Amino acid sequence: MKKTRSLRKGFTKFKRQKELQIFALAGIGYLFIFSIIPMFGIILAFKSYKITTGIQGIFTSEWVGLQYFKEFFTDYRFGELLRNTVVLSTLKMIFAFPVPIILAILISECHSKVFKRTIQTVSYLPNFVSWVLVYGISSALLSQGSGVINQILTELGIVKTGIPFLTDPDYFWGTSVVLSIWKSSGWWAIIFLAAISGIDSTLYEAASIDGAGRLKRIWYITLPGIKGSIVTVLILSIGSFLGGGMVGSNFEQSFLMGNTVNNATSEIIQTYAFKMGMAQGRFSYATAVDLVQSMISIVLILISNKVAKKVSGEGLF
Amino acid sequence: MKKRITEDRVVDIVVYILLALIGIVTLYPFYYTIICSFNDGLDLMKGGVYLWPRKFTLANYKLFLEDADWIHAFWVSVAKTVIGTGLCTVFTSMFSYALSRKNLMFKKAYRFIVVFTMYFSGGLIPYYILLKELHLLNTFWVYVIPGMVNGFFVMTGINFFGSIPETILESARIDGASEFSILTKIVLPVSKPFLATLALFAAVGQWNSWLDSAYYVRDNELRTMSYKMMTTINQTLASAANADAAGQMSQANTATTFTVQATAMVVSMLPIMCVYPFLQKYFVQGMMIGAVKE
Repeated sequence: MKKTRSLRKGFTKFKRQKELQIFALAGIGYLFIFSIIPMFGIILAFKSYKITTGIQGIFTSEWVGLQYFKEFFTDYRFGELLRNTVVLSTLKMIFAFPVPIILAILISECHSKVFKRTIQTVSYLPNFVSWVLVYGISSALLSQGSGVINQILTELGIVKTGIPFLTDPDYFWGTSVVLSIWKSSGWWAIIFLAAISGIDSTLYEAASIDGAGRLKRIWYITLPGIKGSIVTVLILSIGSFLGGGMVGSNFEQSFLMGNTVNNATSEIIQTYAFKMGMAQGRFSYATAVDLVQSMISIVLILISNKVAKKVSGEGLF
Repeated sequence: MKKRITEDRVVDIVVYILLALIGIVTLYPFYYTIICSFNDGLDLMKGGVYLWPRKFTLANYKLFLEDADWIHAFWVSVAKTVIGTGLCTVFTSMFSYALSRKNLMFKKAYRFIVVFTMYFSGGLIPYYILLKELHLLNTFWVYVIPGMVNGFFVMTGINFFGSIPETILESARIDGASEFSILTKIVLPVSKPFLATLALFAAVGQWNSWLDSAYYVRDNELRTMSYKMMTTINQTLASAANADAAGQMSQANTATTFTVQATAMVVSMLPIMCVYPFLQKYFVQGMMIGAVKE
């Protein structure tokens, strides 16, 4: 009796806000189609699927168990792909992570307001151009024959012939990390600058009266003051580690700047899955390969969520 | 006392030098691209152009503007950006407005779905099959429909709209206003900073994307600037490699491909460069969306 009454009450409430509910359900319906339905497609990884059979084929095709996973794990390229993915992400974590922090400290230590603002504005411009454009820029600057950096290096007599930044497998990781730093440091410096501006300025005055110099103040006031932000960003980048962490873009770089010559270091799990699926039409195999990376990523996201909860009391979700 | 003054000055000098270097390193690649677009192609191949065009010419721009393919791709990109941004802004504001209301039934479940889809996805292949089955592949709509709702924008919208006091909206409701008119007449006018940030980031995303044009469409009619730029860069690099291998000769071709590539790059940077100084504030505000997103 009570139950039906509360049900009816709920129904009247629902009817009263039906317009809002239409807005909400339209969005949820959209997410259901474009995000939830593809999640069921993961079963493709365990089936022998042919694209010509359409959506029905997903359900009617034959189960093959872990066949595609076995194939991927025993593929002669598996070790190389895993290494490239992990090394690229680790290098970015080590080298690209500190740069925005240093940049933010430099900007905050600059006394000229105009200069400060100009540099900051300039510094995050690259974040808003596409990776295709960065690829174009890298071809203009770094190509072996005519890249302007190679021209200058040869002119100065530092090298005899141009350095093959874009074509030699030995240079791919370095070039990628540097380009990521160039593209995203200014952007990420914003968050650290905001944290620095939140530090109580009387701390600096007091330290200065006590005789602490600029470097000491940076070390003992600025850095501890932004520790919270550093930890937060670090935690967030654990979840996206395999994609390149904070600066991301492993896929874009490997896809655009990877070529047949530097393939040994540039091919990562994601680009391999992409090529297997889109270029070779091996949809089930590609789904399996993609799923391997997704599973690792999910574990990393859960870890990052746990750590965030522990450190700041608030998780990602 | 003396020691402190010298330390201060040394730090100052180091800070200025480093910042100036960072500024140069950031800007020079853009500047160099611009120089190349104004320099004669063959002349550029001789090397040594670093600071300004040596043999100034507008020929690259003329070539670009006369190339119907480039112009068409440019307009496809414009249409995609305008329509995609419009759809995303309208749809995201409606959705996040509804979810921001505290008395909305099933609010928790709805929000859970939003957050869940932010972190988990079916991956590339199932998504591709979905687009195929919805008959979106190789149509213009594949550019604009899949980006209409973005969880990160929605969450930001919920926060923003949630800060609008319910009492204002309630009094409008009592006056018989529909939710749609409350949204357009009361909520959106006071949410301009959010709308501007949302539209700006949606627009930048649309303008810059390239994978969609490379893999979701086949007709040349539908290819975007980004895609055409990508294929041109591939060509330039490939022909440069061949020229290196074959000696020099036949570089006339390479030079023009490269300078036209540089011209296309300048054209594709233009919209962002134009709005950048004016909308800077919103670019920075987007950091909060970006911070969660990356």
